[in-house]
Amino acid sequence: MYKIYALVVVMILAVTVFDAKAQTANPAPAGTAKGLVRDTVQNYVLKSATVSVYKAADSTLISYQVTNNYGEFSFKTLPINIPLRIDISHVGYLTYRKNFTIPTGKNIVDLGTIVAERRDVMLKDVEISVPPISMNGDTLEFNASAFKLDSNAVVEDLLRKIPNVTLWGDGKITVNGREVKSLLVNGKSFFGGDLKIATQNLSKNSVQKIQVYNTARDQQSTRADSTLEMNIKLKKGKDIGFFGKVGIGYGSDNRYEADASINMYSPKMQLALVGAMNNINKTANSMNSLMANSTFKGVGTNVEYQPDFRATGINRPRAAGANFAYDFIEKPTYQKKSTLKANYFIQDRNSDNLTETQTTTSINSTDKNIEKGTNISTSSNTNQRFDSGYELAKKGHRVNLNQAVNFSNGEDIDQTFRSAGTLQDALTSTNNSLNTSHNKSANYNVNGSYYYSPSFYTDRTRFTGLSMDFRLQGYENEGKRVNITEFKSFIDATQNQKFNRKYDTKSNGSNQELNLTIPNLQKLLFVKARFARINFKITNKLSLKTDDNDNRVEDLDTLTNTYRPNAYLNNRVKTNLIEETPGLGIERSFQKSLSNRYYKSMTIRFHPKMIMMSQDNRSDRSFQNIKRNYRKFVPDAGIDYYNYQYGEYSRSYNLNYSTTLKIPTIQQLAPLTDSTNLYYLQRGNINLRKSVQQTLSFSFSHDDQRSKNTLNYYFRATGGFISDNIVDSLIIDDQNRRTVFQVNADGHKYLTLYGYIRKAYKFKTSELQLDVNTDMNTNRNPGYTNNVFTYSTNLNTNSNFNVNYTYKSYLAMALNQSFSTYKSRQEAFNTGYNGKNLGTTLSSSYNVTKKFTLNSNITFNNSSSSNTKDINFTIWNASAVYRFLKGNNAEFKFSALDLLRQNSSVINYGTSNSFTVGTQNVLQQYFMATISYYPRQFGKKAAKK
Amino acid sequence: MLKFALSSLIICALSYGQTMAQGSKIDSSKMVTLRIDPSSARGAAVSQFFDEVNFIPLETTKESLFGSISQLKMTDENYFVFDWETKAVLIFTKTGKYVAKVNASKIEKDPDLKDNQAFYGFDLKTEDGKTLIQISAGKKKHYFDLTGKLVKKVDVDKADKYADYKKFGDGTVIDQNYLEEKDKDSTYYHLSLIKDQKKVETYFPYRPGDYKNDEGWHGGSIYDYGNPDEFLYVKNYQYNIYKLTSKSLSLAYQIFFPAVNSLPIDYGTNPIYKGKRYEYYEKNRDLFYEMANSYLHGDNLYFQVRNWNWSRDEKKAFIYNLKSNDLTSLADIEPDSTSQFLPITDLTSQYDFTNHGFHIVTPDYFYTSYSSLAMFTFKEQNEEKNRKYNALLTEYFKTQNRKGNPVIIQLKPKKN
Repeated sequence: MYKIYALVVVMILAVTVFDAKAQTANPAPAGTAKGLVRDTVQNYVLKSATVSVYKAADSTLISYQVTNNYGEFSFKTLPINIPLRIDISHVGYLTYRKNFTIPTGKNIVDLGTIVAERRDVMLKDVEISVPPISMNGDTLEFNASAFKLDSNAVVEDLLRKIPNVTLWGDGKITVNGREVKSLLVNGKSFFGGDLKIATQNLSKNSVQKIQVYNTARDQQSTRADSTLEMNIKLKKGKDIGFFGKVGIGYGSDNRYEADASINMYSPKMQLALVGAMNNINKTANSMNSLMANSTFKGVGTNVEYQPDFRATGINRPRAAGANFAYDFIEKPTYQKKSTLKANYFIQDRNSDNLTETQTTTSINSTDKNIEKGTNISTSSNTNQRFDSGYELAKKGHRVNLNQAVNFSNGEDIDQTFRSAGTLQDALTSTNNSLNTSHNKSANYNVNGSYYYSPSFYTDRTRFTGLSMDFRLQGYENEGKRVNITEFKSFIDATQNQKFNRKYDTKSNGSNQELNLTIPNLQKLLFVKARFARINFKITNKLSLKTDDNDNRVEDLDTLTNTYRPNAYLNNRVKTNLIEETPGLGIERSFQKSLSNRYYKSMTIRFHPKMIMMSQDNRSDRSFQNIKRNYRKFVPDAGIDYYNYQYGEYSRSYNLNYSTTLKIPTIQQLAPLTDSTNLYYLQRGNINLRKSVQQTLSFSFSHDDQRSKNTLNYYFRATGGFISDNIVDSLIIDDQNRRTVFQVNADGHKYLTLYGYIRKAYKFKTSELQLDVNTDMNTNRNPGYTNNVFTYSTNLNTNSNFNVNYTYKSYLAMALNQSFSTYKSRQEAFNTGYNGKNLGTTLSSSYNVTKKFTLNSNITFNNSSSSNTKDINFTIWNASAVYRFLKGNNAEFKFSALDLLRQNSSVINYGTSNSFTVGTQNVLQQYFMATISYYPRQFGKKAAKK
Repeated sequence: MLKFALSSLIICALSYGQTMAQGSKIDSSKMVTLRIDPSSARGAAVSQFFDEVNFIPLETTKESLFGSISQLKMTDENYFVFDWETKAVLIFTKTGKYVAKVNASKIEKDPDLKDNQAFYGFDLKTEDGKTLIQISAGKKKHYFDLTGKLVKKVDVDKADKYADYKKFGDGTVIDQNYLEEKDKDSTYYHLSLIKDQKKVETYFPYRPGDYKNDEGWHGGSIYDYGNPDEFLYVKNYQYNIYKLTSKSLSLAYQIFFPAVNSLPIDYGTNPIYKGKRYEYYEKNRDLFYEMANSYLHGDNLYFQVRNWNWSRDEKKAFIYNLKSNDLTSLADIEPDSTSQFLPITDLTSQYDFTNHGFHIVTPDYFYTSYSSLAMFTFKEQNEEKNRKYNALLTEYFKTQNRKGNPVIIQLKPKKN
């Protein structure tokens, strides 16, 4: 298998390298064309005219430039001996157009002084031709009509045509290497803000232009803290329309899928309705992911959204939802906005799971326990969610109000067969159980925030603003469960146990939180005092939590065959938790700048806080009547450093320190032990103390400011100590019966690292993207196993390497190599586990014609761990897609999934003193035919041609 | 709407009458009306306006590194630069060689001050035939010699509050914030002429409350164009250029711009704009909300306009020929051999010239500046054309980089 894999990889690399070479260090000579643009009537050069070079034959854009300070342009990599056309345009001028050819041998054409003629004022409204790109102040504008694309193209196809714009494999968009942080349509968020919904649905022909600009909210640091925003400006009259999809598919093994969606928008309103159902593990958990998965996509190549072959079990999700947004102000700005949004989502999911695992646990330095388990479960759940929000901004006041309600209702049947044995395969015990449960839950939350800062203030202004937010959450859960368990010991038959227990549990509670921040305290108190530029703020967090838990438990009396109340487990516990955290923020900022050279700033933050908690538990059982108060000084602190070097790069460094408190719950202090699950008996420890976590994190990012060959990278490290951590003390007997209670232990340490590097190369006809990211975490956990204190040290890593290659709009290929490892060691027992998972995914999509596309997606998986055999399997999915009707509105698709019939989802993970390997049931080979229709209309009436 | 318009008109009329009653009469007998359409501005070659262009890179050393020139003065031997960012006065020779600097470390702090004593500029004084740098900071005036050494410290004389004000040859002082106290009211004036501590004339009265909760206002600006007996004065929200002598203020040029660029006539007085000016400019980006940096040289009237349109193409600095009525856009003065094919201002990057205009205007030379970042950008854009620079610039491009000190540009305007 690996031979094939290696061969394919080598081939791709070869193709890529060859192509890259062909484009850059090409020995075939590249031609130069230069010239100067002048308005001879007014006698000056045009400094930001747009100059575009097209292939004369078919008007494909080859390159564009904006004239420099001297009114000049100079193209360096034009094809030789091919008829070309140059278009020069500028606001207020007629477009100049000329055909030329760069002669072989000379390789250069000097077009000399090109005379730009002013457009007659009378003809002002007549757009003769627009340049592909223009600068309007600080806004970069791409004019859609200048790019010749198929009539069915969408915005994404347009973006791919623009030099310096990169669409990344993960959906991100960068312009000149800088990431676009938000995308708007006509200045407003579009159907929830997912980039894809706009870029893969909106027809290119409905777009007037795409604007890219910095959103600098702060006058002080114009370029420094700004983020890049993209706005799609629709053509006049196209700001009203709809798009959607209806699709159904049926395949072998009764596999089916169906989905329908419709999105409608007008200048003030947006409404989307979506529904989907299938039995092929295509699960959407929100409105947005449903919408993102029913986009039109257009004629480009795409390698994404396949049924999830890694998902466990067989799922039959059904989902539907609605999304609504209304802008009371048609053209909202940052200062003036009034928007109402609402979402409804219902999901119904049936799934069947079958899992087989084997877990090896160290008992002491020589003995290990091997537990084999089989779990069969079926579940059916219905979740509903309704949320809405209102946002108002007016003259320094900002109000946000949000509410959400969630309901869920589910039934589960869960059967577990477990057997435990020694390393020598001697069976010691079995524990089999059957659980049937029915759960109902409802929760709601309301939150609001108010923020005020005056639009301008002077030295004499006392009150410079405040921020406040309020959160209220409530929940109500109800569960009914029957548990039948049988424990059999092969060592001592007297220990055999059988249970048939019924649970009826109810819980409800609420959480209220109020946060208040008053900035610039020093101004409020002493208008003019400056305190050496130290800034003070008051913060306060108050939260009140209540929880009421009522458990009714009954056991089957085998003699009378009736259920009788279990006096021990029948219980009601009420817990009130009050948390109050007053704090004083102290901040000192330093700035250093030198015009046109650099801007550096450093902020040192210190935020001392006192956290006071009072936990009050009231129970039917007196030993659970525990009232405890906790107090702890929990300071936060940090240093931010920002370094902007004009024309070179900007870098930011952040160092943060924080302290958090964790207090033991009633379940950890004094639980009622349910003895049905002998493989995991939970006991309490009344002596548990609070644990304190101290975290130190550091991050670094580099943003390239050059316009060519940008390279961006990011790095983050987080480390910490937990003192008095609440950890497990595990007692395993020779029959794998586990008793767990919590103890406090010092010495917990952890460190996580994360980083990425990104680089894109754009060639004339193709594009190559490289992306490496890796994260690693290592920790040392204290714990007790059979009363022996041991540290378990763990190391987990996960690295991904992605290469994306696209050639014109015909071919897209993506190679993803993922590599993850785990390693753990128990110091006291001198034992260790390790394993690794390797995955290579090779996806390709080839547009045979404009209407016909072939897709293939192969994943090679390799999973290995200490003490077991390697597991290798390959999943190959392929599909053929045919688009028809005039607007490509209809689609026929034939897919073959898991062609090699090898899918068997592998379980391979490690914890502090055990590791688990196994398999679970997954989706396997099927074939499916799908037919879809995409109704689309942009503008009031579809233009008839 | 009509009611509103009518009532605001009445308010305007009333307030106009009220305030005018208190100021001196402005002579407008010699007023010339100019109609200027910025879009008709033409380009020209550097040599059409200037006989000579000299680039004087200011030496960059660890000691002399500074941000930008916010104030420039000179003597026969030296340039003196005040840099706002490093809060320093730097002394260079006329060839740009660094001599010395005076920064906060050399200034005595007021006793109750923790930080460095701030100062916001400097003056040149001559004593016993020697040039001294005078820096007013806190309660003292400090005098330094040309090596940056402190010569003396003098307490600020409260009685002579006009010591450092702009003055005419006959000792008449220009006060831009003159307060006249009468029995009950107190009235300020945006512009007053004071001689021997007594007022000669007062113009543009206002009350402190007039600008309460208003945005971005100022009284007006005075420009020295190298004539010791006359300054140009530009009042905000007006497109008028006044001439100010020691005797009186006269309206010299009344400019009309196309309607799309013009503020409403009552913009300065109508209270409906109060506190909403930024919002108004944001909506009307082509409006010229003020004129600035006006100088007169021969028949050429130099001026800038400001609006909220930041496009690179926007023409905002002009030379208007009073005789020929030709309008030239300063940003479109094309580099030629006179300027070694380098632009004469940094108007395209909207930095030094946009903010300060010419630092110094004398009858013979104008002085402006731009950053080394701009200098190197212009040079890179010239790269393929094999431009030859003089020895000084060749050396500068060879040894310096885009992070060096700004460059002074000395221009010799043609006489006409």
